[in-house]
Amino acid sequence: MPEATSNPVPGQKAWVLFPLGKKRFALPADTVTELARPDRLQAFPHTTTLLTGVLVRRGRIVPVCDVAQVLVGPNAPARKFYLIANRKFDAASEWTAIPVSGECELASAQPAPRTEGLPRYVTGLLPLNGEIIEIVDLEKLAAGEAA
Amino acid sequence: MKLGRIEKRKPRSRRSESVILFAVAQYKFAIAAHAVDEIRNLEGLQPLGQAFSRAGKVRHVFQRDHRTYFVVDANLHLRILSSHATRLLLLRDASIALTADSIDRMAQITTLHPLPHAFQGEERDWYRGLALIGEDVVPVVNPAALLSKAEIVKLHDSLPKLEAAAQAAGSR
Repeated sequence: MPEATSNPVPGQKAWVLFPLGKKRFALPADTVTELARPDRLQAFPHTTTLLTGVLVRRGRIVPVCDVAQVLVGPNAPARKFYLIANRKFDAASEWTAIPVSGECELASAQPAPRTEGLPRYVTGLLPLNGEIIEIVDLEKLAAGEAA
Repeated sequence: MKLGRIEKRKPRSRRSESVILFAVAQYKFAIAAHAVDEIRNLEGLQPLGQAFSRAGKVRHVFQRDHRTYFVVDANLHLRILSSHATRLLLLRDASIALTADSIDRMAQITTLHPLPHAFQGEERDWYRGLALIGEDVVPVVNPAALLSKAEIVKLHDSLPKLEAAAQAAGSR
Protein backbone atom coordinates (compact mmCIF):
# COMPACT_ATOMS: atom_id res chain seq x y z
CA MET A 1 0.00 0.00 0.00
CA PRO A 2 1.68 3.25 -1.11
CA GLU A 3 2.41 5.65 1.77
CA ALA A 4 1.22 9.24 1.83
CA THR A 5 3.89 11.88 1.36
CA SER A 6 3.95 15.62 1.66
CA ASN A 7 5.50 16.00 -1.81
CA PRO A 8 2.96 15.85 -4.62
CA VAL A 9 3.45 12.92 -6.96
CA PRO A 10 1.69 12.72 -10.33
CA GLY A 11 -1.44 10.60 -10.04
CA GLN A 12 -1.78 11.23 -6.34
CA LYS A 13 -4.30 13.52 -4.74
CA ALA A 14 -3.65 16.19 -2.12
CA TRP A 15 -5.28 15.92 1.30
CA VAL A 16 -5.53 18.10 4.37
CA LEU A 17 -5.05 16.11 7.53
CA PHE A 18 -6.73 17.55 10.63
CA PRO A 19 -6.45 16.34 14.22
CA LEU A 20 -9.17 15.70 16.74
CA GLY A 21 -7.20 14.71 19.80
CA LYS A 22 -4.90 11.80 19.03
CA LYS A 23 -6.75 10.78 15.89
CA ARG A 24 -6.39 12.43 12.49
CA PHE A 25 -8.79 12.62 9.59
CA ALA A 26 -8.51 13.80 6.00
CA LEU A 27 -10.40 16.05 3.64
CA PRO A 28 -9.63 16.59 -0.05
CA ALA A 29 -7.29 19.58 -0.20
CA ASP A 30 -9.28 21.22 -2.98
CA THR A 31 -12.23 21.60 -0.58
CA VAL A 32 -10.20 23.38 2.11
CA THR A 33 -9.84 27.16 2.05
CA GLU A 34 -7.82 27.96 5.16
CA LEU A 35 -7.02 27.17 8.77
CA ALA A 36 -8.26 29.97 11.00
CA ARG A 37 -7.31 30.98 14.52
CA PRO A 38 -9.95 30.81 17.26
CA ASP A 39 -12.71 33.26 16.61
CA ARG A 40 -15.88 34.37 18.32
CA LEU A 41 -18.55 31.72 17.94
CA GLN A 42 -22.01 33.27 17.78
CA ALA A 43 -24.99 31.06 18.49
CA PHE A 44 -28.69 31.48 17.79
CA PRO A 45 -31.63 29.07 17.98
CA HIS A 46 -31.87 26.49 15.22
CA THR A 47 -32.73 22.82 14.76
CA THR A 48 -29.90 21.57 12.52
CA THR A 49 -27.75 18.90 14.15
CA LEU A 50 -23.97 19.37 14.35
CA LEU A 51 -24.14 23.13 13.82
CA THR A 52 -23.07 25.07 16.89
CA GLY A 53 -23.25 28.61 15.58
CA VAL A 54 -21.55 30.91 13.10
CA LEU A 55 -18.33 32.88 12.68
CA VAL A 56 -17.79 36.08 10.78
CA ARG A 57 -14.86 35.56 8.47
CA ARG A 58 -13.78 38.14 5.89
CA GLY A 59 -17.24 39.66 5.88
CA ARG A 60 -18.93 36.29 5.39
CA ILE A 61 -21.15 34.51 7.88
CA VAL A 62 -19.72 30.99 8.17
CA PRO A 63 -21.64 28.16 9.87
CA VAL A 64 -19.66 26.08 12.37
CA CYS A 65 -20.10 22.33 12.05
CA ASP A 66 -18.73 20.45 15.03
CA VAL A 67 -17.93 17.04 13.54
CA ALA A 68 -15.78 16.00 16.51
CA GLN A 69 -18.76 14.72 18.44
CA VAL A 70 -19.44 12.24 15.61
CA LEU A 71 -15.86 11.38 14.66
CA VAL A 72 -14.39 10.91 18.13
CA GLY A 73 -17.37 11.01 20.45
CA PRO A 74 -18.34 13.02 23.54
CA ASN A 75 -14.79 13.11 24.95
CA ALA A 76 -13.50 15.13 22.02
CA PRO A 77 -10.67 17.46 23.06
CA ALA A 78 -10.88 21.23 23.05
CA ARG A 79 -10.94 22.64 19.57
CA LYS A 80 -8.24 25.23 18.94
CA PHE A 81 -8.61 26.21 15.30
CA TYR A 82 -11.25 26.33 12.62
CA LEU A 83 -10.67 24.54 9.35
CA ILE A 84 -12.63 26.42 6.68
CA ALA A 85 -13.88 24.02 4.03
CA ASN A 86 -16.17 24.37 1.04
CA ARG A 87 -19.42 22.44 1.12
CA LYS A 88 -21.69 21.99 -1.87
CA PHE A 89 -25.45 22.40 -1.67
CA ASP A 90 -27.00 21.54 -5.06
CA ALA A 91 -25.65 24.28 -7.35
CA ALA A 92 -24.35 26.46 -4.53
CA SER A 93 -21.26 26.11 -2.39
CA GLU A 94 -20.42 27.86 0.85
CA TRP A 95 -17.79 27.88 3.55
CA THR A 96 -18.20 25.75 6.66
CA ALA A 97 -15.94 26.02 9.70
CA ILE A 98 -14.87 22.76 11.30
CA PRO A 99 -13.37 23.04 14.79
CA VAL A 100 -10.13 21.03 15.03
CA SER A 101 -7.79 20.46 17.94
CA GLY A 102 -4.47 21.37 16.38
CA GLU A 103 -2.44 22.32 13.33
CA CYS A 104 -3.24 20.65 10.03
CA GLU A 105 -0.93 18.99 7.55
CA LEU A 106 -0.95 18.76 3.78
CA ALA A 107 -0.24 15.30 2.36
CA SER A 108 -0.31 13.70 -1.04
CA ALA A 109 -1.39 10.10 -1.55
CA GLN A 110 -3.55 7.69 -3.44
CA PRO A 111 -6.37 6.62 -1.17
CA ALA A 112 -7.06 3.02 -0.32
CA PRO A 113 -10.64 1.78 -0.51
CA ARG A 114 -12.70 1.90 2.64
CA THR A 115 -13.05 -1.34 4.54
CA GLU A 116 -16.24 -3.01 5.67
CA GLY A 117 -17.68 -1.87 8.94
CA LEU A 118 -16.64 1.76 8.65
CA PRO A 119 -19.30 4.49 8.80
CA ARG A 120 -20.71 5.64 5.45
CA TYR A 121 -19.07 9.06 5.81
CA VAL A 122 -15.62 7.42 5.63
CA THR A 123 -15.01 7.21 1.90
CA GLY A 124 -11.43 5.92 1.92
CA LEU A 125 -8.23 5.47 3.89
CA LEU A 126 -4.79 7.06 3.75
CA PRO A 127 -1.78 5.20 5.08
CA LEU A 128 0.80 7.56 6.61
CA ASN A 129 3.86 6.45 8.55
CA GLY A 130 2.04 3.46 9.96
CA GLU A 131 -1.05 5.49 10.73
CA ILE A 132 -4.34 4.86 8.89
CA ILE A 133 -6.22 8.10 8.35
CA GLU A 134 -9.90 8.08 7.50
CA ILE A 135 -11.06 10.28 4.64
CA VAL A 136 -14.26 12.01 5.64
CA ASP A 137 -17.12 13.10 3.39
CA LEU A 138 -18.72 16.08 5.11
CA GLU A 139 -22.00 15.78 3.21
CA LYS A 140 -22.49 12.15 4.17
CA LEU A 141 -21.54 12.91 7.74
CA ALA A 142 -24.03 15.78 8.01
CA ALA A 143 -26.75 13.81 6.18
CA GLY A 144 -26.27 10.86 8.48
CA GLU A 145 -26.73 13.00 11.55
CA ALA A 146 -29.74 14.77 10.09
CA ALA A 147 -31.51 11.46 9.42
CA MET B 1 -49.93 49.67 29.15
CA LYS B 2 -48.90 50.88 25.76
CA LEU B 3 -45.24 51.77 25.46
CA GLY B 4 -45.11 53.04 21.96
CA ARG B 5 -46.48 52.87 18.50
CA ILE B 6 -44.14 52.22 15.65
CA GLU B 7 -44.80 54.66 12.84
CA LYS B 8 -44.52 53.38 9.36
CA ARG B 9 -41.61 55.17 7.81
CA LYS B 10 -40.13 54.97 4.40
CA PRO B 11 -36.57 53.65 4.44
CA ARG B 12 -33.91 56.27 3.99
CA SER B 13 -32.49 54.41 1.04
CA ARG B 14 -33.60 51.47 -1.00
CA ARG B 15 -31.04 49.30 0.68
CA SER B 16 -31.56 50.38 4.29
CA GLU B 17 -34.13 48.73 6.56
CA SER B 18 -35.17 49.71 10.06
CA VAL B 19 -35.33 46.86 12.52
CA ILE B 20 -36.23 46.50 16.17
CA LEU B 21 -33.70 44.60 18.25
CA PHE B 22 -35.12 42.51 21.05
CA ALA B 23 -33.97 39.72 23.33
CA VAL B 24 -35.40 36.33 24.24
CA ALA B 25 -33.36 34.55 26.90
CA GLN B 26 -29.66 35.04 26.02
CA TYR B 27 -30.33 35.58 22.33
CA LYS B 28 -30.74 38.78 20.39
CA PHE B 29 -33.11 39.02 17.44
CA ALA B 30 -34.30 41.62 14.97
CA ILE B 31 -37.67 42.16 13.37
CA ALA B 32 -38.56 44.61 10.63
CA ALA B 33 -39.85 47.80 12.23
CA HIS B 34 -42.57 48.11 9.59
CA ALA B 35 -43.94 44.72 10.69
CA VAL B 36 -44.57 45.95 14.25
CA ASP B 37 -47.52 48.16 15.12
CA GLU B 38 -46.98 48.57 18.83
CA ILE B 39 -44.81 47.46 21.73
CA ARG B 40 -46.52 46.94 25.05
CA ASN B 41 -45.99 45.38 28.42
CA LEU B 42 -47.92 42.23 29.29
CA GLU B 43 -50.84 43.95 30.97
CA GLY B 44 -54.12 42.61 29.62
CA LEU B 45 -52.90 39.18 28.52
CA GLN B 46 -55.55 36.51 28.98
CA PRO B 47 -54.25 32.98 29.57
CA LEU B 48 -55.84 30.09 27.77
CA GLY B 49 -56.92 26.96 29.55
CA GLN B 50 -55.02 23.69 29.42
CA ALA B 51 -57.52 22.41 26.89
CA PHE B 52 -55.82 24.67 24.39
CA SER B 53 -52.30 23.41 24.99
CA ARG B 54 -52.81 21.82 21.58
CA ALA B 55 -52.39 25.32 20.24
CA GLY B 56 -48.75 24.84 21.17
CA LYS B 57 -46.97 28.15 21.10
CA VAL B 58 -50.12 30.24 21.64
CA ARG B 59 -50.87 30.27 25.35
CA HIS B 60 -52.47 33.73 25.64
CA VAL B 61 -54.67 36.14 23.75
CA PHE B 62 -54.68 39.91 23.89
CA GLN B 63 -57.63 42.16 23.10
CA ARG B 64 -57.29 45.69 21.81
CA ASP B 65 -59.81 47.87 20.03
CA HIS B 66 -62.20 44.92 19.60
CA ARG B 67 -59.44 42.96 17.96
CA THR B 68 -57.98 39.72 19.25
CA TYR B 69 -54.25 39.03 18.99
CA PHE B 70 -52.94 35.49 19.36
CA VAL B 71 -49.84 35.76 21.49
CA VAL B 72 -46.99 33.59 20.23
CA ASP B 73 -44.64 32.55 23.00
CA ALA B 74 -41.22 33.27 21.48
CA ASN B 75 -39.51 30.66 23.66
CA LEU B 76 -41.84 27.94 22.41
CA HIS B 77 -41.64 29.14 18.81
CA LEU B 78 -37.83 29.15 18.78
CA ARG B 79 -37.40 26.11 21.05
CA ILE B 80 -35.58 28.15 23.72
CA LEU B 81 -35.71 27.29 27.40
CA SER B 82 -38.25 29.47 29.14
CA SER B 83 -37.22 32.94 30.20
CA HIS B 84 -38.97 35.98 31.60
CA ALA B 85 -41.02 37.78 28.96
CA THR B 86 -41.92 41.36 29.79
CA ARG B 87 -42.86 42.82 26.42
CA LEU B 88 -45.33 42.17 23.65
CA LEU B 89 -44.78 43.10 20.00
CA LEU B 90 -48.13 43.54 18.27
CA LEU B 91 -47.72 42.91 14.59
CA ARG B 92 -49.14 45.20 11.99
CA ASP B 93 -51.79 43.76 9.63
CA ALA B 94 -51.93 40.46 11.55
CA SER B 95 -53.76 38.97 14.51
CA ILE B 96 -50.45 38.05 16.07
CA ALA B 97 -48.35 39.29 18.94
CA LEU B 98 -44.90 38.03 19.92
CA THR B 99 -43.44 37.94 23.42
CA ALA B 100 -39.98 39.32 24.17
CA ASP B 101 -37.87 39.53 27.31
CA SER B 102 -36.66 43.03 26.52
CA ILE B 103 -36.51 45.55 23.74
CA ASP B 104 -33.04 46.84 22.95
CA ARG B 105 -33.23 49.57 20.34
CA MET B 106 -33.90 50.29 16.73
CA ALA B 107 -31.18 49.85 14.17
CA GLN B 108 -30.62 50.21 10.46
CA ILE B 109 -29.45 47.27 8.41
CA THR B 110 -28.20 47.62 4.87
CA THR B 111 -27.59 43.96 4.09
CA LEU B 112 -29.69 40.93 4.91
CA HIS B 113 -27.41 37.90 4.62
CA PRO B 114 -29.22 34.73 3.58
CA LEU B 115 -29.19 31.96 6.14
CA PRO B 116 -26.31 29.63 5.14
CA HIS B 117 -27.42 26.48 3.31
CA ALA B 118 -25.92 24.39 6.11
CA PHE B 119 -28.90 25.36 8.22
CA GLN B 120 -31.56 22.94 7.05
CA GLY B 121 -34.11 22.82 9.86
CA GLU B 122 -37.11 24.88 10.92
CA GLU B 123 -34.88 27.93 11.24
CA ARG B 124 -35.14 28.35 7.46
CA ASP B 125 -38.74 29.44 8.10
CA TRP B 126 -38.13 31.22 11.38
CA TYR B 127 -35.70 33.76 9.94
CA ARG B 128 -35.69 36.04 6.90
CA GLY B 129 -31.91 36.04 7.11
CA LEU B 130 -29.03 37.25 9.27
CA ALA B 131 -27.95 40.81 9.91
CA LEU B 132 -24.52 42.03 10.96
CA ILE B 133 -25.03 44.72 13.57
CA GLY B 134 -21.66 45.90 14.74
CA GLU B 135 -19.83 42.65 15.31
CA ASP B 136 -22.96 40.72 16.22
CA VAL B 137 -24.77 38.28 13.95
CA VAL B 138 -28.48 38.82 14.59
CA PRO B 139 -31.20 36.60 13.10
CA VAL B 140 -34.04 38.61 11.56
CA VAL B 141 -37.35 37.05 12.53
CA ASN B 142 -39.82 36.19 9.78
CA PRO B 143 -43.23 37.41 11.01
CA ALA B 144 -45.03 35.22 8.48
CA ALA B 145 -43.62 32.09 10.13
CA LEU B 146 -45.02 32.84 13.59
CA LEU B 147 -48.40 31.38 12.76
CA SER B 148 -49.54 29.93 9.47
CA LYS B 149 -52.78 31.07 7.86
CA ALA B 150 -54.32 27.71 8.70
CA GLU B 151 -53.32 28.07 12.35
CA ILE B 152 -54.79 31.56 12.53
CA VAL B 153 -58.07 30.40 10.98
CA LYS B 154 -58.23 27.51 13.41
CA LEU B 155 -57.59 29.81 16.35
CA HIS B 156 -60.20 32.29 15.16
CA ASP B 157 -62.73 29.47 14.79
CA SER B 158 -61.98 28.44 18.35
CA LEU B 159 -62.38 31.99 19.65
CA PRO B 160 -65.71 31.53 21.47
CA LYS B 161 -64.27 28.47 23.21
CA LEU B 162 -61.02 30.32 23.87
CA GLU B 163 -62.85 33.22 25.47
CA ALA B 164 -64.87 30.86 27.64
CA ALA B 165 -61.73 29.02 28.67
CA ALA B 166 -59.94 32.31 29.36
CA GLN B 167 -62.81 33.47 31.52
CA ALA B 168 -62.79 30.14 33.34
CA ALA B 169 -59.02 30.35 33.84
CA GLY B 170 -59.33 33.92 35.09
CA SER B 171 -62.03 33.09 37.58
CA ARG B 172 -59.96 30.38 39.31
